[in-house]
Amino acid sequence: MSESDKLPTPTPISTPSLTPKKAVSVQKPPLAAAKNDKTSGPGIGVYVCHCGGNIADVVDVKGVVDQASGLEGVAIARENSFMCSDPGQSMILEDIRAGRVDRVVIAACSPSLHETTFRSLLVRADVNPFLVEQANIREQCSWVHHNHEEATAKAATLVRMAVGKARHLKPLSPVRVDAAKRALVIGGGVAGLRAARDLVGLGIDVDLVEREADLGGFVSGLDRLYPDGEVAGDFVERLVSDIEGDPRVTIHRSAEVRRVGGYIGNFTATIASGASSADQSADQSADQSADQSADQSADSTSASTSNVEVEVEAGVVVVATGFRPYAPTRREFGCGRLPGVVTLPDFGRMLADLPDTASSLEVDGRPVRSVGFIHCVGSRQLEGVHKPPKGGTLNKHCSRVCCTATLQTATQLRDRFADVAIHDFYQDIRAYGRGHEELYEQASRADVIFHRYAGDTPPKVRKAPEDDENGLLVNVVDGLTWGEELEIGVDLLVLSVGMTPGDIGTIIDNLKLATSADGFLQEVHPKLRPVEMAVNGVLLAGACQGPKDILESCASASAVAVKAAVLLGKGYVELEPYVAEVDSARCTGAGQCQEACPVEGALELVEEGGGRRAKVNPAICTGCGCCVAVCPSGAINVAGWTLDQFASMVEAITEGEEVAS
Amino acid sequence: MPQIPATVDTLIIGAGIAGLQSALDLAEQGYKVAVVERLPTIGGAMIGLSKVFPTLDCASCITTPKMAAAAHHPNITLLTYAELESVEREGEVFRAQVVQKPRFVDEDLCIGCRLCEYACDTEIPDPYQGGYSALRAIHIPFGNAIPQLALIDEERCILCGKCVNVCPTDAIDFTQKPVGLELEARTVIVATGWKLTPIDAKPQYGGDQIANVISPLQMERLLAPHGPYGRVLRPADGRVPDSIAYVQCAGSRDATLGVSYCSRVCCMYAIKQAMLLSGAVPMADITIYYMDIRAFGKGYEEFYRTAEAMGVQFIKGKVARISEQDNRDLTLRVERIDELGQVEERHHDLVVLSLGMLPAYDPSRLVPLEIASDGFVATPRAKEAPCHTGVEGIFVAGTATGPKDIVDTIVEAGGAASEAARYMRSQDQVAVAAGSEAQ
Amino acid sequence: MREDDHSSPPKILILATTSCAYPGADATGQAHLSYPTNTFIMNVPSPAILPEQFYFDCYDRGIGGIIVMSCGVECPFEGAYEQLAARIDRVSLAMRERGIDQGRLKLCAICTVCTKSFVKAVSDMNEVLAAQEVA
Repeated sequence: MSESDKLPTPTPISTPSLTPKKAVSVQKPPLAAAKNDKTSGPGIGVYVCHCGGNIADVVDVKGVVDQASGLEGVAIARENSFMCSDPGQSMILEDIRAGRVDRVVIAACSPSLHETTFRSLLVRADVNPFLVEQANIREQCSWVHHNHEEATAKAATLVRMAVGKARHLKPLSPVRVDAAKRALVIGGGVAGLRAARDLVGLGIDVDLVEREADLGGFVSGLDRLYPDGEVAGDFVERLVSDIEGDPRVTIHRSAEVRRVGGYIGNFTATIASGASSADQSADQSADQSADQSADQSADSTSASTSNVEVEVEAGVVVVATGFRPYAPTRREFGCGRLPGVVTLPDFGRMLADLPDTASSLEVDGRPVRSVGFIHCVGSRQLEGVHKPPKGGTLNKHCSRVCCTATLQTATQLRDRFADVAIHDFYQDIRAYGRGHEELYEQASRADVIFHRYAGDTPPKVRKAPEDDENGLLVNVVDGLTWGEELEIGVDLLVLSVGMTPGDIGTIIDNLKLATSADGFLQEVHPKLRPVEMAVNGVLLAGACQGPKDILESCASASAVAVKAAVLLGKGYVELEPYVAEVDSARCTGAGQCQEACPVEGALELVEEGGGRRAKVNPAICTGCGCCVAVCPSGAINVAGWTLDQFASMVEAITEGEEVAS
Repeated sequence: MPQIPATVDTLIIGAGIAGLQSALDLAEQGYKVAVVERLPTIGGAMIGLSKVFPTLDCASCITTPKMAAAAHHPNITLLTYAELESVEREGEVFRAQVVQKPRFVDEDLCIGCRLCEYACDTEIPDPYQGGYSALRAIHIPFGNAIPQLALIDEERCILCGKCVNVCPTDAIDFTQKPVGLELEARTVIVATGWKLTPIDAKPQYGGDQIANVISPLQMERLLAPHGPYGRVLRPADGRVPDSIAYVQCAGSRDATLGVSYCSRVCCMYAIKQAMLLSGAVPMADITIYYMDIRAFGKGYEEFYRTAEAMGVQFIKGKVARISEQDNRDLTLRVERIDELGQVEERHHDLVVLSLGMLPAYDPSRLVPLEIASDGFVATPRAKEAPCHTGVEGIFVAGTATGPKDIVDTIVEAGGAASEAARYMRSQDQVAVAAGSEAQ
Repeated sequence: MREDDHSSPPKILILATTSCAYPGADATGQAHLSYPTNTFIMNVPSPAILPEQFYFDCYDRGIGGIIVMSCGVECPFEGAYEQLAARIDRVSLAMRERGIDQGRLKLCAICTVCTKSFVKAVSDMNEVLAAQEVA
């Protein structure tokens, strides 16, 4: 059978409404001759890495090389101190260019680190990039074993397995999908607005979905922003005016994403617009620390009634759904129970609503002579000290923005009311950013009195006796006065509440998005791919990923835009080729595969050549292999993960083993 | 010499992780990029680190793929060991003068085999290994350097000619001269990075006098698997340390040093090194003297708590002075803020000063942009445009705008690439519009 | 070389999912935890790809134990885990019929940070195999 017979021809796809309508094709592999096994072509090169001493200190690399060079199909085996380095790569490149090898086994670290490095090396050598297999002799050998002999023997077996698999490797080509140069941005807070502006600037049209009637998210409810004290409303207006009226941005207000499906280049979403958002008020009242924080917006779960549903297409989905401010319980510092206990955002609004001419601050009709701020409310929670909400987990993370937001608010308070006593109860002041430390100094100079409490002994708050000077009494074990227990009277107590993961609802289920231990969305890798989700084409902007301030949200939104431009710029996207392939000659049309296939539309039975044959849609197929396991005639395999490869690896493990009885 | 295009879309100054990320994000969109780096290798500060917080990935394993990708990208030209002389605006473009410093090794001929290095007898301190081991006067900077080209330390080479005799490709050329290059670019990204606070910035800590008082970058090398000793030893006498101390804010949040800002990474690198040390020298006690622990990033607080649970001791206190004893151990005079403010003498046998980040240099000498009062590049609209210098066509990435960790650096580098690409597209659209109007 | 095999412990095949268990095994290595060398990890996107016969072929070839380390319900492949779990149940039943100790097949969920669970799964299987050797 020739190569072209085995490869699906480009097929237009007819699918249900939430699946793609784009052209999908599988390219013919660039190498004309299919080198299906080790008998054709020069053979396998085995390259064993020392990884400095990471591998070589435990594994006898030379011994592994010697054993590898005797394996069936192996043309050459070599070692290098860093196979990923330029000299290591050059060595492989030369062997390929000299015609000594045409497929490669790398015995080194985990493929998660350098699989792409070696794939691109093969591309540079004009070899199909899928003709490389890695033996993980670092993470899964030298780092977990200490006996040199045993570790060397195991490394040799791991190499034998990789060679066994390599003998069955075939050239593969990415599935190419036409991509819509459009983005669906979910959330119209700071991150969403900024992402929208940058996306259109890079030639990508945008559908921006915001749950509320107004854009701006959480920040639009704030008073002033750190570090420069800009009025929040002015800032938001500037971001909104950047995109409002731009024909390339379709803004869906009071809207939610009902469903989203598809895949990179080709997402389809149903947006319900004209929704009245039922849980808006709940969120607003529970709002979070003053000032700087990112967007809180478009949760797609509001119990709303919709008027219009529209369907949009998108090449990428940008999740910019923000966060939910921590809502203190009634147990915590008397919030909602004692008069004069408010959250930082509430206090920001109090200040904003106060006429400029006001000469004093009042709570419940009594003048405020003393204000306290408590940091880390709902952040840095400790096991045994704090109680998680029902069915929830503790917020162990630091919320990043609250320290500076508190300092900013305290200095602002001082500017307006020279005579008010200000107490700041903190664990660590985390004024890390540009201009933050200056706010800390400013607050100190402005006679803000700091009290340091330990995480396991938070301050206690109670109502003061009627005849007391102040309305509330705060007891704190103060680390700055050497552990003295102080009782401080305040009239107003401001809780610097932290950020908690937003409720992202249907999107998270529809797209199967991963969350990290703190409950926020989880990027693929914080350094290698910081704004991408594991689901191809889903990008992260702003505080849905974890606490971020405005600057950081904007930076991540810009980074998202550039990533989208890289993905969609060509007008098509190349997907991994690991999809099911049907050998029509062996297919009997029995149909078990279709029953087993869990992905709608990925595998169908069609009439072909006078009988029923299974047919795979490579753009939708996820390569899970459920069909492979049930095929009675061995007619289906997942490209790159064939059953003969697995069998070959098992053989490599058990070589020389006695057959078990 | 590599083929240098006379015209590129973007000139990037600095080939650290920020510059490389910006370069890749632009090159992947089809823009032509030139990256100018004054050191002989790309990779910046990150390639010299051991493992990085909070995932404890090996720094080299994260950096080398990006280095290799940039080095092999058809749209990226790397100019290493090159000094930027000036950047001037000329109408719609920038004109940059760059001087390629002589390696005294022909870049087209050198195959990186290191035979010259093995033949050379002249030893010089190895900056990449914290000065703890030696390089030869002719050398490749380090194992995973890119490009893998030898160079001669002009000042220390004694011109003995041994390298010339062994070089299989006759690449050694003592007559090489600096070569001036001119580049035209539509946009500029400043990614000039940071440098460590000098170790002698606070004389009372004895950083330049006491061998067992070291910098965090030196500790990174001691911890790296391919470090100078292969394990953690005291520099003064090669003993395995039993009691290691970290002095936080040793160069940050200190107006007397002119550095009033927080350097943002020191808490986390100290915690990370403490965790790595408890693996490398399991019997050693590790103490961190601090004012505030600033574990603010994603997963950082959890990382801090893990270190605490592992037995790393955190003491809130100010270190006033460090002195050396006869046995080369160290005495720290500490004001214990947590213990009634009493002053204690505490003994350790190795001290790491958690030094801060200073701007690597002042790019305003070369590039028409503004420097803020903290010495870093000004970003007048920092909230919504953290990567914009406020000067049209000039953008900024990474620690050139102030201390930051690798995660934030990489995200901002994407942001700078985004700004640059957006600017060039809008330029193109104006040009197209003008063209059609003219017709 | 080969002579040693008679005295070496039975081999354990670990089917580790690409998105969860394989990185979990990597994390175990990054944490420098230790486990015996009779363990051979095979990276597999989803073990649901492997037919029932695969398991019997393994035992026939001399594999001592098989640990299927899946992502559990976190499986990135929609619906695949349920099919895998059902298949493992069927294989286990068939093992009993064929007189193969059912303890030699184990399905568990290992995530990317489950380093201790990874080591425990290996030591549990080794205990099963050791008990069997004694018997």
